[in-house]
Amino acid sequence: MEFDAEVKLKIYEMTARNASIPNAAEVATELGVPHKLILDSIERLSAKRLLVPEPGDSSRIRMAPPFSGIKTAFQVEVGDRSYYANCVWDAFGIPAALQMDGIIYAVDGFTEEPLQLEISGGRPRTLEYVAHFAVPAALWWDDIVYT
Amino acid sequence: MLLFRSEDTVIQWCKANSTPVRPLISMDQLWYLAVKWYENRITVDSRRPAPDEMVEIFSKIGLDGPFWDPKADKWISAT
Repeated sequence: MEFDAEVKLKIYEMTARNASIPNAAEVATELGVPHKLILDSIERLSAKRLLVPEPGDSSRIRMAPPFSGIKTAFQVEVGDRSYYANCVWDAFGIPAALQMDGIIYAVDGFTEEPLQLEISGGRPRTLEYVAHFAVPAALWWDDIVYT
Repeated sequence: MLLFRSEDTVIQWCKANSTPVRPLISMDQLWYLAVKWYENRITVDSRRPAPDEMVEIFSKIGLDGPFWDPKADKWISAT
């Protein structure tokens, strides 16, 4: 397997298992390779828009889409684990990636009223809410944290 | 990409943020996008959809036009 693909897969496997995105040192330990190789790999994966490092600290990962490395307004419970998603699309993306049912605890983007979504039997069960994409697709990666 | 209880709160959010109201996305449409983007993410061969694939995926659920095109000049030239 190509090294960057191996690093990416390990990051996702650890994230799914631990409900937390690992840092570069943890990935290096898990793969048994030098820390610098992982930092370089994270940089290449970021250039391909597959990961988003923490601003100012490339040893930590802010986003391994759909997973978030920080707490957000989109908490996703799948099985006995609880994850955070980057946005409402990614909140649905976590049950999709794990191929399991899930409950999403989110809020209304304007009122901050708590809203709950459910994925069950491979489809959404809560249909009355709506999502809004404010940024056009061509500009998503200009500021992916805002998007 | 935010979640809203209704179109009313979308409109209020857009007004508060001086942002145009875009087409609303239903939960079924959003699930379709989530599955297309992420169902193979925890596999060796996972990758983001290429720009032309993105356009095709959006179009399948009725999301057409330059807003949904990652290569749309209209938006790129606006930066």
